[in-house]
Amino acid sequence: MASGTLTTLALTAPVAVPALLAAGFALAEWRAGGPPHRGAPPGRPAPADWLGLLTPAAILAGAGRLAAEVHGTEGTFAHGRLLRADALTVWLLLTVGAVAALALAATPAHLAAERDAGRADARTGRRYHVLVQAFLAAMCLAVLAANLGVLWVAIEATTIVTAFLVGHRRTRNSVEAAWKYVVICSAGIALALLGIVLLYFAARQAGMSEALALDWPALAAHADRLDPAVTRLAIVLIVLGFGAKAGLVPLHAWLPDAHSQAPAPVSALMSGVLLAVSFTALLRCRTIADAALGPGFTRAVLLAVALLTLALAAALLLAQRDYKRMLAYSSMEHMSLIALGAAVGTPLALRASLLHIAGHGLAKTVAFCAAGRILQQEGTSRIAEVRGLLARSPALAAGFGMAVAALAGLPPFSLFASELGIVRAGFSAGLGWAVVPALVLVLVAFAGLGTRSAGMLLGDPGDRPTVRLGAAAGAPLLAGLAACAALGLAAGPLDGLLSDAAAVLTGS
Amino acid sequence: MTEALYTQLLDLACGAFLLAAVVVLWLRELTVVVRVLAVQGVALAAIPLLIGWYEDEAALLGISAGLALLRGGLLPYLLNRALTGPRDSEHRETRPLVNVAASLLTAALLTLLAYAVTRPLVALEATPATRALPVGFAVVLIGFFVLVTRRRAPSQVVGFLLLDNGITAIAFLAASGVPVIVELGVSFDVLLAVLVLHILTTRMRAAFGGTDLDELRELHD
Amino acid sequence: MSALGYAAIAAQAGAVVVGAPLLTGWMRQVRARLEGRAGAGTAQPWRDLRKLLRKEPITAAGTGPAFRVAPALLVASTLVVAALIPLVSTATPISGHADAILVVGLLALGTVTLALAGLDTGTAFGGMGSSREMTISALVEPTILLAVFALSIPAGSTNLAAIISGAAEDPARLASPAGLLATAALAVAVLAETGRIPVDNPSTHLELTMVHEAMVLEYAGPDLALVELGAQMRLTVLLGLQASLFVPWGIATAGDSWGSLLLALAVLAVKVAALGALLAAAEVFWAKLRLFRVPELLAGSFLLALLAVTASYFLGTGGGIL
Repeated sequence: MASGTLTTLALTAPVAVPALLAAGFALAEWRAGGPPHRGAPPGRPAPADWLGLLTPAAILAGAGRLAAEVHGTEGTFAHGRLLRADALTVWLLLTVGAVAALALAATPAHLAAERDAGRADARTGRRYHVLVQAFLAAMCLAVLAANLGVLWVAIEATTIVTAFLVGHRRTRNSVEAAWKYVVICSAGIALALLGIVLLYFAARQAGMSEALALDWPALAAHADRLDPAVTRLAIVLIVLGFGAKAGLVPLHAWLPDAHSQAPAPVSALMSGVLLAVSFTALLRCRTIADAALGPGFTRAVLLAVALLTLALAAALLLAQRDYKRMLAYSSMEHMSLIALGAAVGTPLALRASLLHIAGHGLAKTVAFCAAGRILQQEGTSRIAEVRGLLARSPALAAGFGMAVAALAGLPPFSLFASELGIVRAGFSAGLGWAVVPALVLVLVAFAGLGTRSAGMLLGDPGDRPTVRLGAAAGAPLLAGLAACAALGLAAGPLDGLLSDAAAVLTGS
Repeated sequence: MTEALYTQLLDLACGAFLLAAVVVLWLRELTVVVRVLAVQGVALAAIPLLIGWYEDEAALLGISAGLALLRGGLLPYLLNRALTGPRDSEHRETRPLVNVAASLLTAALLTLLAYAVTRPLVALEATPATRALPVGFAVVLIGFFVLVTRRRAPSQVVGFLLLDNGITAIAFLAASGVPVIVELGVSFDVLLAVLVLHILTTRMRAAFGGTDLDELRELHD
Repeated sequence: MSALGYAAIAAQAGAVVVGAPLLTGWMRQVRARLEGRAGAGTAQPWRDLRKLLRKEPITAAGTGPAFRVAPALLVASTLVVAALIPLVSTATPISGHADAILVVGLLALGTVTLALAGLDTGTAFGGMGSSREMTISALVEPTILLAVFALSIPAGSTNLAAIISGAAEDPARLASPAGLLATAALAVAVLAETGRIPVDNPSTHLELTMVHEAMVLEYAGPDLALVELGAQMRLTVLLGLQASLFVPWGIATAGDSWGSLLLALAVLAVKVAALGALLAAAEVFWAKLRLFRVPELLAGSFLLALLAVTASYFLGTGGGIL
């Protein structure tokens, strides 16, 4: 009994805690009303800004509890069949929790710097917290939802909530980015809804009850009874739809704009985990489609999407002039690698893809937080106007440089191990013809990322002032890099979980 | 209700639903377009009403009433609010990327495409409702087309709503609607998305002095 | 039976020839009354024709055979259509040949003849009018074909007599989406084909806008009378066809008596007069479209016709083709 309650609590907390915090911040905002006033003395983070860290704590605690629970089971449910956890859920919750911890730990320093620059006040700070917490609640719901319809609703909710975070500055650039973001993502993900509706139709035709026809475990168990022609149409729509939210072609155009305009911690959350969460939604649907169609069809679709995205991202990385956009295209590059691993589809490849999701989340969070700091310090996001960072603010430059090295796939960071895993799995599955061009493109992306970042970090600092990185801003960078390296050197206790999560997707 | 009458009425509702989408493509005056969208919302609400009546499912009648309120009333009202701009030229779709005659011919092709795409669906279960499925797909495709080719912020919202109406129609025609909790969530998300776009339109007017999307060209590589 | 059939053909052709100028006069009269004028009376077009026919035949210098044959060919082709299509009876000796595609072809023949005549004059107006007329009819012909095709799917035949008698037996066909869409498409196509507002304005000689009038600007005397009569007959035939297709009641069928033939003739007159009055009333309230927007209207009606075809194929309640 007590164990059951605890499990329910562990499943509920990752959604409920951020939702309650969002409500709390909204209440505070409503009570405060009146003219905006400055919340904290200059240069010091406001105490309330640290409250947000309760959410990652709840997520990680819930994930820890569930990790023990789900090993060797089909998954545990709570609130009827609304919330559900299996090994894949736990792995994603851990990633979301870790990335959220880093991003929310970097938030107080970010907001303090914004307040000092006069771009924010206590009021915008509270609104920021409301939206970020609601964003995390929606994302955790998307991870935990058992019903594909609820999963869709949660992912669309992340779009709506983050729209105002992307457009928070109300400048022409912000409004443009927010408009494109909402229109492209909402329209794209509507295709995924259409795909899910078609799956529901096929499931009802296969004799499943109304309550279970959208339920993922039930669908996965009975997927072989679905009509192949309808399922084929559905999975193409789902790949397009969730692919739009995961930054894959052809509906990727919102990504660089939105990621470059959002506040740095939000960019980190969107790039680090939101892309991965919607890609995992795609993977769950793919498990169903593979059971109905055999692995060939979705593999071909995913391979095409992955290679096209990779080629586009690599080409645009080479010619990039804006470092936040550079990081955004790097996200597309990594999502396409994850998609490549998913296309290969063997347990080894899926393990590598899932590891890549976690490693990319951590490294990209550090990179975006550092880039946000550079933007606040230099006042420009153009690569050509930032020079000699290593000489002027060594700690910040080192953090950014290490994060870019991790994103470029250098050891000891975990991205090295996972990229190697994807390539090896690709060759052993006989997909060498796809892996070789992908490798070439990754090298091109590496060259683009490397030369642009080197230009920013090295060179003559000129007469520009030296700036120190405070402990509040520096600690999250260090922690993220350490976690990413540790994950690469020894997955250790997470190894079993990773294998279980890959097994969930292969349906074995 | 006899099956023949049910089929007849369902076909009429679907016909009106598709025709409204075509008329949206035809018109330039945005205030009229919004009115046509309201008519489409009512035609959409008629579909679950007829299915619920024929199959004796009371829940569908309630959903139909909710849909009529949301799609036929609230969403068009919100869109109309977004059109209270100061200038006349703001209310007309003056120069779409594809001219009206060509868009109408494209709509004809899209309808044929919709019929081709839905063949496996109709083949799976040929009831009067599933036979009308191509109509839903055609509206989805036309909605996408409007979204891509129209250059005013409110017209893009219209395209998004066409897309969503089409998907809702498909859900009802194919499987008498998705479970209620999902339906509620989807409707709520659509409402919020339109609200967000409404606010962004206001901000766009403040930042760009208009709702012409061709002005949105500052972010590029 | 056979005598009855031939009588029906004669009645149709005669009614169209005699009735066409009266219909035009009636529409002008309705329009005049709605605009608060007294009007010239329903028989005025007949008086105009009589006046023109008495004049000396004159042809413009430098015109060739195309210009000279056109009036007669226009009237003749329209007369054949009037005899063919089931306006009064669906069971005439030649109703087996009343194929929709043939009828559309005959109407197109008249259009092309006039366009060639307009080109033959070698004047700027004639050429301009012909080019505009061809642009419009390039969009109109496929629309009419598709609309009639949509109606022929439930009947399983493109024979107009079969379509109309089928619709008279099963009125549900007309209230289906396919039937309604086809009606709308055909109505727009008829407006364009007969040169009415909003596509063309039959009562203006404004050079910027005229289409039909520009083509026939060089005609005078008896030739002009024939051209006018031909245009009026086309309007009558097309309105009559539309009335038969969508309000098919009252038409005499196989096995009917002389009485029902007379009744059918009266019903036809009432239906066409009602349609004409409706059209005239609508023209009071409509403005002519700019020429550049005409293709939009016609593309729209083409789309409606195509939707009608697809709808009758796939929704196909009583179809049975699939």
